[in-house]
Amino acid sequence: MPPKNQIQRIDELLGSVTEELMMGNPQQFEDNSIRVERLLLEMVRPDPVQPRRVLPEQLHFAFHNNRLTPTQALKELVQLVQVAARQRGRPFNNVLELLPNPDDEGDEDKSVHLSPEEQLLHDLVNLAITIRDDGQVNPLTVVDVSQGVTQQFRIETGERRYWATWLLRDFIVGYNSDGMIPCIIIPTERSSVFRQAKENTARSGLSAIAMARQAALLVLTVHGYEIPSHAVANDFYRQALELDLRGKREYTESILTAMGGIDKGHLYHYKTLLRLSDEAMELADRHNIDEKKLRYVVTLPTEFHAEIVRQIIDFNLTSKQVKELCAGDGLDTRSQDDEIEHLPASAVKLAKIAQASNTTSAQDLAQAMMRQEGDANLARARLQAMRKLLTDAERYLTE
Amino acid sequence: MTRVFVFTNHKGGVGKSTSATNTALGIAGMLRRAGAPNSRVLLIDTDSQAHATLVTTGTKDYGTDNSLYTVLMADRKNAAQTLLNCIVQSTWDTDLHILPASPMLEGAERELMGIAGAPYRLADPLSRIINRYAAVVIDTRPSFSLMTEMGLIAATDAIVPVEPRYLETVGLMSVIGKINDIREGWRQPNLRVSGILITKMNTRIRGHNHLLDELQTHSVLGKLLLGVVPANEAVSYAHQNHQSVFSYDPKAPASKAYAQFVGKLVQRIAKGGA
Repeated sequence: MPPKNQIQRIDELLGSVTEELMMGNPQQFEDNSIRVERLLLEMVRPDPVQPRRVLPEQLHFAFHNNRLTPTQALKELVQLVQVAARQRGRPFNNVLELLPNPDDEGDEDKSVHLSPEEQLLHDLVNLAITIRDDGQVNPLTVVDVSQGVTQQFRIETGERRYWATWLLRDFIVGYNSDGMIPCIIIPTERSSVFRQAKENTARSGLSAIAMARQAALLVLTVHGYEIPSHAVANDFYRQALELDLRGKREYTESILTAMGGIDKGHLYHYKTLLRLSDEAMELADRHNIDEKKLRYVVTLPTEFHAEIVRQIIDFNLTSKQVKELCAGDGLDTRSQDDEIEHLPASAVKLAKIAQASNTTSAQDLAQAMMRQEGDANLARARLQAMRKLLTDAERYLTE
Repeated sequence: MTRVFVFTNHKGGVGKSTSATNTALGIAGMLRRAGAPNSRVLLIDTDSQAHATLVTTGTKDYGTDNSLYTVLMADRKNAAQTLLNCIVQSTWDTDLHILPASPMLEGAERELMGIAGAPYRLADPLSRIINRYAAVVIDTRPSFSLMTEMGLIAATDAIVPVEPRYLETVGLMSVIGKINDIREGWRQPNLRVSGILITKMNTRIRGHNHLLDELQTHSVLGKLLLGVVPANEAVSYAHQNHQSVFSYDPKAPASKAYAQFVGKLVQRIAKGGA
């Protein structure tokens, strides 16, 4: 770069011409309006600290730490789903096979339970096909974070559309993409965590864990914490657990509005979810488990969080059942810690389930078994094995 | 729409690279001074001699993986990303970005010969990133080769630098004719001959004054005259020091003339909604 005084001299020369140019219309260049532009897909990057995560956690971190390109991340996701789908007897080679065949009339009647990854890929493929057929009607919202010759835009809203466009570009054959994506470019000075939060909560489907991360980001922001531009672990969000809004009353309303108009109590409940263990948080986020169920899990020791969340998922427990399970769990674990340590995890799990047996109907259990096994004979066999196990267990109790 | 100014003339030594580099820097500085939201300018060097690259980046050590050559040889799908990866910042100004040339470009024409869509290998990727820039300036080689054609196809405004000598001015009409051929032949309605820039003007030479008078009074060419840059040793010394003429000697007549010329281009950018 030329020395500073030299730049000043150039500026003086160019400035004299600029003043002539600007005569009569000094505002002709001033344009801070929000613009819609078609950007090269490679210039756009998802926000690593966005509370609403699209990719599974492992892929999320690998992608944001630049270990995977967008295409590689999607490839990994497809492989992950292929394995899950094969285990459930629904193998596929092409992502388009995930969509129902319009020629199969009977398909509508079949209610197939998809794993979260299958559901994610299914939704992305669906979105990609909509973009292919109807175009990208709704532009992404991005913030210009370019530095020097590195031109980059951080997604504020529309990460799913971003991934769907990559999917369309690299995984759906026969589509000739120009590699561009329409974006609304927000000037950097107008971008804020509050703005992003409002955009997030205005849409449905934000998981309780995403809401917890959202609450943490807002609380950390009002306390002057710098929000990083790289992927962060849950401990970053957990810093918000130590903070409250007592000294920041002027922000309380803005935070509650940004969180979708919830009350202070709800904000507290969401924030408390950050106490969940990493594994429990990941499971709860992936399976979109309700806050009302998770609030009881938080009261337990950390080592039980993931186990209980797994039970919520496996047995589709209601919040009442979770409450009972957690209340019982607390007593059991405190009094019989030593014994439990020597017991296999599956035995402890079954013992806990036994506590919820009076709140589960036989019909519900039959349906759950069918959903899990996918075959009536297999479900019957499992129940018979269970019956034998229970009979044997009862004999031990008598003895 | 971002304006793309291409400096072209099949005659060598008329000041194409000098004009392209100083114009690019001038546009960036003037837009910034005017408070434009975007004052970034991209300078593309399509000349294998890489003079514009050398003076604006301090080196011409660019090759197969970091120059215009890389972009031209890239897979069509990845060409825009490759273009972004090859852009470097000029040592002159943070808002001046350079797509460097490489001696490899000499062979690129032969390599691309016969490849379908070869003339669009610059225009296509450039069109995908162009809205990130307030303006693009292209320096061409002194011939109407495939590389120059690529530059013209990517451009909106052709500017012809010309020395005020008899043979040069005679050749001017053929240059303009060639640009029109490209506009019609390649169906580039946005491309137009935007102006003539007289360079190396020496008012003490009678022939120079005579030809300038003729040009000014010409019914067509007179209207295209955008500026007259006097012959000035500040220009050659600026090159030698890898500096722009503006920074080498802002008070030199050539600096003032280039500033006036750039001002006219910036007015066009403003009218185009930059």
